[in-house]
Amino acid sequence: MENILSIKDLVVSFASDGRKDRAVAVNGLSLDIPRGGTVGLVGESGCGKSVTSLSVMGLLAENGRVDAGEARFAGQDLLKLPDRELRKLRGNRISMIFQEPMTSLNPVLTVGRQLTEAIRQHSDMDKAAAKARAIELLEHVGIPEAATRFGNYPHQLSGGMRQRVMIGMAMAMTPDLLIADEPTTALDVSIEAQILRLMKDLQRRHGTSILMITHNLGVVAELCDEVYVMYAGEVVERADVFTLFRDCAHPYTRGLMASLPRMTPKGQRLYNIRGTVPNLRAMPAGCRFAPRCELASERCHAEKPGLIDLGGGHLCRCFLRGEAANHE
Amino acid sequence: MAKHIVKRILITIPVLLGIVLLIFFMLNVVPGDPVTVMMKEHLKEDVVENLRKSMHLDDPFFLRYLRYVLDMLRGDLGMSWKLNRPVTKVIAQAFPYTCRLAVAAALFSWIMGIPVGVLSAVKKNSLIDHLSMGVSLFGVSMPVFWVALILQNTFKNVLPVSGVSGWRSYILPTVVLGWSSAGRIARLTRSNLLEVLRNDYIRTARSKGLPPFTVITRHALKNALIPVITVMAIQISSLLSGAVITESVFAIPGVGSLAVSAINNRDMPLLQGTVIFTAVLIIAGNLVADVLYSIIDPRIRVE
Repeated sequence: MENILSIKDLVVSFASDGRKDRAVAVNGLSLDIPRGGTVGLVGESGCGKSVTSLSVMGLLAENGRVDAGEARFAGQDLLKLPDRELRKLRGNRISMIFQEPMTSLNPVLTVGRQLTEAIRQHSDMDKAAAKARAIELLEHVGIPEAATRFGNYPHQLSGGMRQRVMIGMAMAMTPDLLIADEPTTALDVSIEAQILRLMKDLQRRHGTSILMITHNLGVVAELCDEVYVMYAGEVVERADVFTLFRDCAHPYTRGLMASLPRMTPKGQRLYNIRGTVPNLRAMPAGCRFAPRCELASERCHAEKPGLIDLGGGHLCRCFLRGEAANHE
Repeated sequence: MAKHIVKRILITIPVLLGIVLLIFFMLNVVPGDPVTVMMKEHLKEDVVENLRKSMHLDDPFFLRYLRYVLDMLRGDLGMSWKLNRPVTKVIAQAFPYTCRLAVAAALFSWIMGIPVGVLSAVKKNSLIDHLSMGVSLFGVSMPVFWVALILQNTFKNVLPVSGVSGWRSYILPTVVLGWSSAGRIARLTRSNLLEVLRNDYIRTARSKGLPPFTVITRHALKNALIPVITVMAIQISSLLSGAVITESVFAIPGVGSLAVSAINNRDMPLLQGTVIFTAVLIIAGNLVADVLYSIIDPRIRVE
């Protein structure tokens, strides 16, 4: 299938005050998003998943820098595009939703103003047409009394409503790709389901591809076709969603699955992966997950595993490959 | 909104009465009898006695306070002892000078301060940033009288340095008075803008493909200027109440100079008048700041 976005060997690093060495947040990541598909990017906070999306959008913080790699979108390498050209794509053919609906909207501008400015930036609609379009968008994302809400300020809306506005804004120009960075993390579970349903619905209607960044495997199961699991700046496993849930291969992914709270006898402790994510400036020499892995051998600590194809596009960065699955 | 403003205005009434009481009390306990100052100690005792009586100086404190407040409510601040003219008239005559200087200095400080602050924030840690912040810091920290003297000495052949003769007389005082305000506004604008630029909604604005100029002006500046506008409103009210030092150094016959001469002459009614005038302006400035604040920030408006 044709890919709408194809990231290859992306390396992103950050400078911090008073230090010469840069912290490498993303280390050689490759990822493909098929047209019309939904790809999940999963991992703990700090594993580099948001950094990946921000570098594709050209929105890295000042101290961040793309050191290597390419991101092909419609024949262009987004990472080499001058800002002026990238701006034409942002909010138009690629758009983004962020984690915090409470802080992602400007508090001193009305919802309508923030919607219409996105529309008018990428079209030659006049004020009235843009307003009509914005109200239509608000209705599409399920905001009641859209015409009234148009004149509201963000603080007059609930968190779920604000995220709907964000989605409306992102869908304003019916983009080819929607990057959703933990769009439901800050919301109640019932609202989360509504927002996910809305995204699915919009995708079906417009054929938009989605990159879903999340640490929530439930969201992945709900929405994604394919999943990339990231750990410490690298992809450790890639599989279609059924394979991943049926038969994941990497010990880290297995740990994530086991960490999901489920109905267990009272008093039994929830599973957690021991240890913490390694420091970006002090990565283990071998497998990055080895210090926390229950199955790590001497080889894992000394040598770095590559991504191994387990068949059918199921990739796994582990010496034990499928064997890990059979251990327990 | 209107209710909010009316409420704020009503609150100022007790504040004003309190201020008048305080001023009245303080000027009563300072040493120096106006009559002796006026008469240079040459007068016979009975003349002094009569004068004191006609000026009600021997009446009880609260009686005099009450009389003063009642007169004040009728727009009468008493007669200047030295000039023998109504205090309100004297202030009204001096105010245009102060007003011209204040408005010029305020405009100077905004026109210099805000763009410099924005530029410094956008070009953070560049040469421009360091340079303009250095100049601002200099403006904020140098004593006004010193800057005034240096400028007078430097430009004495080009610009008028004393008294008022045409608009050119206001140039140097405007720079002296405006510089420190400009420095304060530039630094405040810079730090607020830097703070605002870190917000999530700025990233959202950029993710919509807006050009950097629009992101700064439409999304960042409006948020960053909320505290700056408060400072500006209070600043202009304090400028309007007379820049005592600047007016004295440049011999501008404004409200500031008036206050200084009132102190020197123990002219109590005039001094009280100028201080109350100042207080009213400061209160009004705060009120305007409050109202502006709620116009810009919709979150305050609703409550």
